[in-house]
Amino acid sequence: MAVSFALPWSQDGNLKVPLSYLISLILLLFHSEAACGPTQRRPYKMQTFRIWDVNQKVFYLSNNQLVAGYLQAANAKLEEKMNVELTESRGGMFLGIHEGKLWLACVKSGDKITLQLEVRTCFRYWTTIKTQQNGPTTSFESAAYPGWFLCTESEGDGPVSLTNKPGNATKVTQFYFHVEQ
Amino acid sequence: MQSCRLLGAGPQLSTFCVLQKLSGTMFILCMVIMGASAFTVQPEQHTVAARNCQFRGKHFKKYYRVEGEPVVLRCPQARSWLQTSASSHFNTTWHKNDSGRMVPGEEEKRLWVQDGALWILPALQRDSGAYVCTVRNASYCDEMSIELSVLENTEASLPFTSYLQIVTLSTLGLLSCPELSEFTRNKTGLNVQWYKDSVLLDQDNRKFLSLRGTTRLFIYNVSVEDAGYYSCGLPFSHNGTRYNITRNIKVRVNQKEEEPIPVIVSPHQTILASLGSRLTIPCKVFLGVGIKSTSTVWWTANDTIIDSAYPGGRVTEGLEKEYSENNENYIEVPLVFDPVIKEDLKTDFKCIVTNRMSLQTLRTTVKEASTFSWGIALAPLSLVFLVLGGIYMYRWCKHRPEKGYSLTTVKTDHEDF
Repeated sequence: MAVSFALPWSQDGNLKVPLSYLISLILLLFHSEAACGPTQRRPYKMQTFRIWDVNQKVFYLSNNQLVAGYLQAANAKLEEKMNVELTESRGGMFLGIHEGKLWLACVKSGDKITLQLEVRTCFRYWTTIKTQQNGPTTSFESAAYPGWFLCTESEGDGPVSLTNKPGNATKVTQFYFHVEQ
Repeated sequence: MQSCRLLGAGPQLSTFCVLQKLSGTMFILCMVIMGASAFTVQPEQHTVAARNCQFRGKHFKKYYRVEGEPVVLRCPQARSWLQTSASSHFNTTWHKNDSGRMVPGEEEKRLWVQDGALWILPALQRDSGAYVCTVRNASYCDEMSIELSVLENTEASLPFTSYLQIVTLSTLGLLSCPELSEFTRNKTGLNVQWYKDSVLLDQDNRKFLSLRGTTRLFIYNVSVEDAGYYSCGLPFSHNGTRYNITRNIKVRVNQKEEEPIPVIVSPHQTILASLGSRLTIPCKVFLGVGIKSTSTVWWTANDTIIDSAYPGGRVTEGLEKEYSENNENYIEVPLVFDPVIKEDLKTDFKCIVTNRMSLQTLRTTVKEASTFSWGIALAPLSLVFLVLGGIYMYRWCKHRPEKGYSLTTVKTDHEDF
């Protein structure tokens, strides 16, 4: 795992790693909450996507938690659109909501990988999501934790989370992901 | 004042408080009540304990339902409350915010609480309003209000009641009848009826397929005409009376997102420029033939967006230009240096283009157009060589006819010897 933490920098194509980044890397290895180098900026512009699962559920925030559910026209303004920043590796991206104020992160907690919303200080490897196109739908896999997919509950409004059993009937891992038209 | 503050939980009640303050008699009455309550310490404490419930505000989601149908409201905070203390027993009560009356009231047989959820059957327009749900156990209490609007099932109410669902052109579309889980729990053999513009989509319809036992409707080979208002209905029986639960859906048809990956045509890897001069490097991207693109093109300097890298504006991104050449679409974004300085020679410039899920980059560096240019140095040198070559050729040509002559001369000379 420690090796993969080094990847955000190589992903940017920045092969000359400045000393400050090395220090941050060492800090990261010892303390995963350490911030990235202060000068690190993402050079990529955000794109906005509309996301909905195959059951037509959209995303919204409830008590600072990302929830998938149905919104009537009068509530439509609550819908969270996805802010996407692509990485140079094919299919790799960072997913954010709330005009890029909060970013989706896959965080290990015990045996499970959980989805968290992070206020971005910098881009971290565990916030990288890999997409896979399956016909008209897309699935989203954690780059740091392969096999863990973004999912919604198949019944009722429920939190957006991660699952390592994408075939499970209670979870939905297929989404429509369209550029906001 | 204490009572006013307690009452001031809801916006309507706070207005009531303001009115109280304005009205002298009401104010006195308020003081009298306060005075009276001060003497009865025990009931007051009890009231505070009962009322000392954390009000967590109005739920952000409003519910729009159709008149004459069953409505189920679930405590919005119960989910998070259950998650934090799943093992604790809790008691859920409901009251209507405007009347303050507890629901279910004695006179109303249409309203009841079942597993913590408020059932209204059938819902009437006068049931519209804010309902406060209180969740408590021995040590904890919180409440939240939830807003319900019961509307007549007419076309005019469609913009409020409908759910937006999107299908993609020329693909298999899938609609889902939303928010039925309260009625479908532990039930098999669901029979959801689907309508488009109030016309029943029956089983013989080849265009649509409603899967029995599910809340889904498939639309084969989605066309533009499939957009519009749909509704789905689930029959529901209670105490021998049949009801219908209707959900309205507004269907939008999205274009298929098939876009070729853009190709950066220029700039070259190195650009020559002289220090102190103005330089424009256009980044030209080929988008494809005859399609509308969602591509975005921009420049970076050492992996930083130009605006942030050059806040002073010495280097800027020019205006984006989209144009067509023989039905081939291009997009061009120039990078403008005014002027070029030494620092630019060490900077890594990248032109980046993204569309949907692809990202392409092209790196370029600025090189100084050297004052000692081989071209300039070689020009006089080659001229010299040309002149020398010319002279030699001239002499050689001149010498050639003279050769025989000179030989003879030599011969003659030789003879002279």
